[in-house]
Amino acid sequence: MTYLVLSLGVCFVLGGLAVASNPSPYYGVVGLVVASVVGCGWLLSLGVSFVSLVLFMVYLGGMLVVFVYSVSLAADLFPAGWGEWPVVGYSAGLVLALAVGLGVGSFEGWKFGVNTVDSGGVVSVRLDFSGVAMFYSWGAGMFLVAGWGLLLALFVVLELVRGLSRGAIRAV
Amino acid sequence: MSLTHLSFYSAFALSSLGLAFHRTHLISALLCLESMMLSMYIALSIWPIENQAPSFTLMPMLMLTFSACEAGTGLAMLVASTRTHGSDHLHNLNLLQC
Repeated sequence: MTYLVLSLGVCFVLGGLAVASNPSPYYGVVGLVVASVVGCGWLLSLGVSFVSLVLFMVYLGGMLVVFVYSVSLAADLFPAGWGEWPVVGYSAGLVLALAVGLGVGSFEGWKFGVNTVDSGGVVSVRLDFSGVAMFYSWGAGMFLVAGWGLLLALFVVLELVRGLSRGAIRAV
Repeated sequence: MSLTHLSFYSAFALSSLGLAFHRTHLISALLCLESMMLSMYIALSIWPIENQAPSFTLMPMLMLTFSACEAGTGLAMLVASTRTHGSDHLHNLNLLQC
């Protein structure tokens, strides 16, 4: 239990490695789901529950669901999982690149220990709740900008997938 | 380096390497982009905890919002190019021929 946060961090890196090594997209989404679940657990054990649940709902429940059914466009006859030699070679090469980068960079030693939410003392309202609540009071301008950006992205997507003669990406 | 910093830093580096290298499908590159966004979200969430500054908790929320916009746009381009080329293989996107 002492090393819970450390082991969640290691699993996060393994999930990222599972996406970056080149499996079939069916398996890449699995790595991304594992990484986001472990990341949520990491944030929960540090104490910021609101931010963690927002990640679960928006990222895992919104964006990844859309990615999962978009993966159906990428149909391989023989999907390459993590037992195939090209994928194993990719992941070994990526780990080697990371290890070389860590070895070349100068560091004194690893610092253990994390700061959690209650490191500075217990407050009546949790850190992330009070912080995000500022979005609706002092951050009202940014709220409007973000809403406008989302509306704009909706129309961008509608224009990109229009598909008739006025579509954005056509063969010449 | 703190070990938690090393975790999301190396996840970001691995995902960006995965984005840079040649792969068969366009959606694999989009998945690597999503993994980069995830590690950035974790990093931006851990930073206000370490500095005990509540108002910076807003940053990962906004980042997630705009990353959702970007993911939607990327998938729309994936759909449009699959409709044109028949599959999302990257070697089909060779109109520039450089």
